[in-house]
Amino acid sequence: MSALSVPFSFNRLALIASNTFLEAVRQKLFNFLLLLAVGLVASAQFFRDFNFGSSELKFIADFGFGALIFFGSALTITATAQLFFSEIENRTALTLLAKPIWRAEFVFGKFLGVFSVIGVFCALTIGLMMALLWHREGQLMAANPEAFEAGRIMRYGDLFIVGVLQWLKFGVLSAIVLLIASFSNTNLYTVVTGFFALVICHLQYLARDSWSNVDSLVLRSVVRLLSFVFPNFQLFNLSDEIGQGAGLDPMLAGRVALYALGYITVIGGLAVYSFRNREI
Amino acid sequence: MNTSIPAISIKGLTKDFAVTLRGVKLRAVDDLSLQVEKGQVFGLLGPNGSGKSTTIKIILGLLGATVGEVKVFGVPSHQVESRRNVGYLPEAPYFYRYLSGYELVRFYARVCGVPKAQLKARVNDVVDWVGLSQAANRRVGTYSKGMLQRIGLAQALVHDPKLIVLDEPTAGVDPVGSAEMCELILKLKRQGKTVLITSHLLAQIEDVCDRVAILDHGKLMVEGSLLELVGQRDRQALIVDPLPAAEIEALREWLTSRGHVLNAIEQPRARLDQLFLSKISRTGHLGGNPGVGSNVVPSSSVPKSSASAPSSAPKA
Ligand SMILES: Nc1ncnc2c1ncn2[C@@H]1O[C@H](COP(=O)(O)OP(=O)(O)O)[C@@H](O)[C@H]1O
Ligand SMILES: [Mg+2]
Repeated sequence: MSALSVPFSFNRLALIASNTFLEAVRQKLFNFLLLLAVGLVASAQFFRDFNFGSSELKFIADFGFGALIFFGSALTITATAQLFFSEIENRTALTLLAKPIWRAEFVFGKFLGVFSVIGVFCALTIGLMMALLWHREGQLMAANPEAFEAGRIMRYGDLFIVGVLQWLKFGVLSAIVLLIASFSNTNLYTVVTGFFALVICHLQYLARDSWSNVDSLVLRSVVRLLSFVFPNFQLFNLSDEIGQGAGLDPMLAGRVALYALGYITVIGGLAVYSFRNREI
Repeated sequence: MNTSIPAISIKGLTKDFAVTLRGVKLRAVDDLSLQVEKGQVFGLLGPNGSGKSTTIKIILGLLGATVGEVKVFGVPSHQVESRRNVGYLPEAPYFYRYLSGYELVRFYARVCGVPKAQLKARVNDVVDWVGLSQAANRRVGTYSKGMLQRIGLAQALVHDPKLIVLDEPTAGVDPVGSAEMCELILKLKRQGKTVLITSHLLAQIEDVCDRVAILDHGKLMVEGSLLELVGQRDRQALIVDPLPAAEIEALREWLTSRGHVLNAIEQPRARLDQLFLSKISRTGHLGGNPGVGSNVVPSSSVPKSSASAPSSAPKA
């Protein structure tokens, strides 16, 4: 029997991922992304007249990251649900899953495909934002050289790292949406539930902070449990001092990245488990 | 592998769907037992909603059985291994519309692990074989229903499976297209493939199937070879030139004198689909073979299409 067995194949997983990515490309999702990214960065240009020196640079960076987080989250939820349900609703999943493939290859293939799409969006937005900052910083340097005696003050490497961390956070979000999609029947339900999950992941630290003083042990344990089940998206917001001042602690960034990868693995595994016996 | 292992064996299969939130069950397949031997063309017939597609999806591991056991070449159908030698054309197929026909077949070929060295030749072969070479670079989104069925057949055959499962391959396809589909199925049979095909169009099935089973409300009504089921072994038909009434009387008397009975005198008619096919210009592109099998002229009742019509596009 062992001669017959079909081993798990990263090759097939990559095939499904690249087909998912291709779908996003050919369905013109990227035209929209490019427009969005350009629009965002262009709107940051409106603030060029502020001309308040280095704080203007910080403003641009904050604005850029705010937009990245907002639009990136919306994109992650809708694109994950859409690229998953297009297989189910168009019944292309029938043909694909009737091939000798593992359901895990399908789920993680979908994940990797969506994750790459989001990666392109993050790269576009961060890239454009860094180009804009570089350009503006150059202008400011020329205008008042005294303020820039020690050279450029923006830390572009840090911007890049925070961008990567945001991408990983979107990966966690995408895994959560896939988990929901794996048992949900409709695209709409998945998107709505996904947004709820996003809000919980962003706000769960509030609950933990305010409930940690509660006397009731039961309540405290429930909150503790919830904060364990839902990843804390606030951890990824390392942008307060972004690109300026003391700079990013690489150890911290590494820990946050591991945190994200851990959640992606566990939640992805749950999605596979739930999708394993789904009736197509 | 042992040759006595059937291609498909279904034992006591029952499938319930939960159709309401309160857990009311709908029994789509009811205690079905069937066996499809290697090399057969097996027709699964029945009205809409009789459980044909559900049975097929269980065979392919897309649905789980509620009760019972389904094996494909001896491997339980819920295991990935069981799908290794199976090609599947779903009912009313729909494919990634953003891929070209060629890219689509290539994608499935790679998923099925067709070796890199053979990939190109293999994909070209099957696309050619189903007569879609002319349209292979068009987006699947622009394909007509008949073309979707053909590209669906191509993706089902691309890894040279031993068992091919076709769910309503001729539904919604014009008579020319479905006659060509029947020819393709007969070619597969000659290559020694096992074919399981469902349909509610009985005339078409009749031309290609060795055995049939009829389902109704998920239950097996009858199963057997076509000859057993509809062959009238105690009757024979003689086809002659038109006879005057007097000669018919003489013939009847002659037969009676020898202890035979003249049962019926009928005007034989060509079937309407055959008339249709003879009047319509056929632009099929049934090309070479994807497998190692022979390229024999089909001996079916369906007229052979002109295999040499390279300039015309497939029917839209
Ligand atoms: N996913 C499903 N959920 C609930 N009922 C289903 C599902 N799929 C099929 N059915 C029901 O099972 C019965 C058999 O359907 P099907 O196998 O598609 O029939 P056929 O292919 O013979 O037309 C039908 O009554 C159909 O409504
Ligand atoms: Mg059906």
